Amino acid sequence: MTEFEPKIIAFVCNWCTYAGADLTGTSRIKYAQNVKIVRFPCTGRIDFMLLLKSFGEGADGIIVSGCHPNDCHYTSGNFHARRRWIMFRGLLDMLGIDVRRIQYSWVSAAEGAKWADIVNSTVNTIRELGPYTEYEKVAGYLEKEAKQ
Amino acid sequence: MNELIKKAVALLESDSVQVIIGYAEGTGTRTRAIFITRTADCENLIFDSRCVQNLAVYLTKSEIKKLGKPAIVAPIPVLRSILQLAVENQITENDLVVLGITPQSELVDFESFAAIEAFLSTHQIVIEEKYQETIREIKAMPVTERFAYWVKELEPCFKCYACRAACPLCYCTRCTVDNNQPQWISVASHPLGNLEWHIMRAMHLAGRCTDCEACYNACPMSIPIHLLTKNMLQDVTENFGTYGPSLDKLNTLSSFKPDDKESFIR
Amino acid sequence: MSKIGVFICHCGENINATVDCARVAKTAGELEGVEYSIDYKYMCSDPGQTLIKQAIKEKGLTGVVVGSCSPRMHEPTFRKACQEAGLNPFMCEMANLREHCSWVHDKNEATTQKAIDLVRTLVEKVKLNKPLYSIKVPVTKTALVIGGGIAGIQASLDIANAGHQVILVEKDPSIGGHMSQLSETFPTLDCSQCILTPRMVEVAQHPNIKLLTYAELEKLEGSIGNFKATIRKKAKSIDENLCNGCGTCTTKCPTKKIPSEFNTGLGTRTAIYVPFPQAVPNKPVIDKENCSYYQKGKCKVCEKVCPTGAIRFDQEDELVEIEVGAVVIATGFNIMQPSEFPEYGYGKYKDVITGLQFERLASASGPTLGEIRRPSDGKIPEKIVFVACAGSRDPAKGIPYCSKICCMYTAKHAMLYQHKVHHGKSYIFYMDIRAAGKNYEEFVRRAIVDDEVNYIRGRVSKIYEENGKLIVRGVDTLLNAKPVEIEADMVVLASAAIANPGAEELAQKMHVSYDSYHFFSEAHPKLKPVETNTAGIFLAGACQAPKDIPETVSQASGAASKAIILFSKDELSRDPLIAVVNRSPAPVFSTCVGCFMCASACPYQAIGEELITNRQGKVIKKVAKVNPGLCQGCGTCVAFCRSKSIDIQGYSNEQMCAEVVALLNND
Repeated sequence: MTEFEPKIIAFVCNWCTYAGADLTGTSRIKYAQNVKIVRFPCTGRIDFMLLLKSFGEGADGIIVSGCHPNDCHYTSGNFHARRRWIMFRGLLDMLGIDVRRIQYSWVSAAEGAKWADIVNSTVNTIRELGPYTEYEKVAGYLEKEAKQ
Repeated sequence: MNELIKKAVALLESDSVQVIIGYAEGTGTRTRAIFITRTADCENLIFDSRCVQNLAVYLTKSEIKKLGKPAIVAPIPVLRSILQLAVENQITENDLVVLGITPQSELVDFESFAAIEAFLSTHQIVIEEKYQETIREIKAMPVTERFAYWVKELEPCFKCYACRAACPLCYCTRCTVDNNQPQWISVASHPLGNLEWHIMRAMHLAGRCTDCEACYNACPMSIPIHLLTKNMLQDVTENFGTYGPSLDKLNTLSSFKPDDKESFIR
Repeated sequence: MSKIGVFICHCGENINATVDCARVAKTAGELEGVEYSIDYKYMCSDPGQTLIKQAIKEKGLTGVVVGSCSPRMHEPTFRKACQEAGLNPFMCEMANLREHCSWVHDKNEATTQKAIDLVRTLVEKVKLNKPLYSIKVPVTKTALVIGGGIAGIQASLDIANAGHQVILVEKDPSIGGHMSQLSETFPTLDCSQCILTPRMVEVAQHPNIKLLTYAELEKLEGSIGNFKATIRKKAKSIDENLCNGCGTCTTKCPTKKIPSEFNTGLGTRTAIYVPFPQAVPNKPVIDKENCSYYQKGKCKVCEKVCPTGAIRFDQEDELVEIEVGAVVIATGFNIMQPSEFPEYGYGKYKDVITGLQFERLASASGPTLGEIRRPSDGKIPEKIVFVACAGSRDPAKGIPYCSKICCMYTAKHAMLYQHKVHHGKSYIFYMDIRAAGKNYEEFVRRAIVDDEVNYIRGRVSKIYEENGKLIVRGVDTLLNAKPVEIEADMVVLASAAIANPGAEELAQKMHVSYDSYHFFSEAHPKLKPVETNTAGIFLAGACQAPKDIPETVSQASGAASKAIILFSKDELSRDPLIAVVNRSPAPVFSTCVGCFMCASACPYQAIGEELITNRQGKVIKKVAKVNPGLCQGCGTCVAFCRSKSIDIQGYSNEQMCAEVVALLNND
């Protein structure tokens, strides 16, 4: 049996975490291949609908990461994002969508090692949680319909 | 409610307003919304405990706007919606006359939105204990069970969008669910589509919902979607302080504090 | 139909060592809409770029994906190449196969698969890219300098001497700042005022500098090249044009016992006052809080004695709006009040003073005319103790950072004392001596060797009064932690340098970031030390962190040169990656419903209103409108918009959705 390889999508801001992940690269710190990055100008731009879409498209886990508070390239995008995440997380939790599958983090452009750590620990968490079959089952109606 | 009728007649006669948005007898024991443009029809106006529909929803509808300046019968849930609509730049004080109704069914005049806010400050939104209990029970379920619970609860939804139509704050001319470039959420009423729709609806009401329950009352399948918004209201209070529409406060989600607290960001 | 070209770079062996580049290129070539796909050793090299350019021309490519290093590295390179081949530069995207893939993974199938996924994701994005064009913004060649200390003075003079207009705003009645309060300066012991006042006069007389004293920034709107600043000119209660600075009013004013801010409370001033004799402008202001007329309705002596009739009791604060292209923040620092350390007895014992107060005592223009006399009885202290790090490097009770200037000025204080009181004895309690700077270490040596200042390495635990003496208890850690007790006549505390009160508020007004100590944050700690995160706003001096004078002056000149560089062009070219509100056919016009939640969330006040009218001019709809000159492209508004009526170019909803779908569907 092949081991479960989690599919994890990462939404990161261009100025801090994307640059931080670049530093992980230049520092040659190894991490798991499961996480793939989508670049955003700012965490403020990250629409909760995209997180929802990710689960609908089969993501087992999501990482959302940007500049530390007070470090936002746009001064307050991350503050807005934080409020949105607080509310979104509360709603998902109420609905029984496993909030452990979304890892929010602040990773600065200087924290290459932290990025590798976030990736690896998230991959481990999702590995332990297993594939998101509950959600896939719900989303599966789509595919069945499409096939019919 | 003779006083209400008298007031309505006076408003129409003096041409201060051109339409009265109020409640009238409906089929059976139910009441319905009525839009009165002639003084003779004013006698149909009623107000009693059965009048729970949130009339504020009509304030942003173009069909009603065409009738002219409205006066609106406004018990507390309607007042809250009016205030929130004002915060969101959908109505101005000159756009309407508010026929406020107190919990003791007394008619009360409001000179300004600020007066409504002052009045509402003594009538804060309170999530009833029974709902709090239900929310606690749901949250106490193991996560997979909770998910299954909601998938089952949302199963009867056939995307009639009555919840959207009844909500005074769902006034967008194009709802994102109707947007297909990109197709944000699945339009069909299968479990994924239902789940996505109700998550989006709730999130779009985060920090805005005034807990009028119009969505739940309108739902033909009696899906407890108001639990989602009630839970959200509790979250707003818990995380960002007391909640309620306020003219000088920014909306919860379009504002922030540098020291907002959370426990989940690494 | 899209005709996308995919160009996979080996980056020598940097990518190819762990990623099978040939296979990535081959697989990408099979994707729908991909017209051409190739891998090459160095895409950024001349031949590599030529490969891209030729393909654009020969294959008629509509979009390009370069799979290579980080876009933060070479995005400009490849976009420029596309532009040179006639393709809109914004039709080029990069897949980060090096930093985000080959360098962080081992060589195996999953790594190549990830590279393929990243390329496919960007291919799907680029299919939805639209040609974009740079936004040209005109530049207002006037600088606003906030703060008239040595930093603000230097920056103003540099910018003005380059031929540009400067508006210098100072909150106090005179420019000069902390430097004007200092006696002598280290390490040369030249008189602070002697070197500063000529600069102050130069500012006042410079044809390109407009000086607004007793004024503060009220509001700052706009963005680089085009800021609009609102300045509050506080009412001085005098007509500056009529006042000739004769000083009669200040001598006749009956309210004379107000502690002088300039003399740090060691001297007094009148209610109508000039802060110090060399003030620029040398014209008084009325301190309303302490003026008999303003407080009790009686007096008006100044009005009676004024020979030019310049007193204006009815003057009110005035708001002036100015347009500037750049801003230099030079608001300086403050000192921590040592009363927060009760063990030092500051506030309780008159003869425990701060370093800044000592500067006034040592200053020839100070309350004692430069004689070191203690505040309590005016006697010359025979024994004096200096306490370094009074608040600095004290994470528990003070501030964790080093205030940087105290080691040097404490050495200077002790030296000045020894020069003035030859038979006196001076002691300095210190943690470490930090004297890194040109001629600094030599200066401290001179204090120790030539002037026989007693340096005691250790902290002071308590200061108390006994029989008219201040008993300073401490410890000498170099003598096996031997307790030390000194009977002193006066104690000087080197209190910590902290951010100005109100710095946080000012930062928020200008939308620049600040650190946890409320010092303004530079854009990059190494490479952008004078820039802030907000384009067009620069930092000078101790408002960024504690600094000595030479450092402050260098940074001020640095900030000035940044402004001058900005002013060297008539137009700025900006990335068009900004937000736009959609438009649709009548009768909808736009799906925007005008809730303006985007506007309240926008960090740049870039969102305003637009009224849509019919042919008769009647307003049909009020919708949001993005000011392209102000929008910085963060996209916070986009995530807020419930009806998805506002979108951001380059990171549009369609593009981001396409990326999500493509990234996750790799089976």
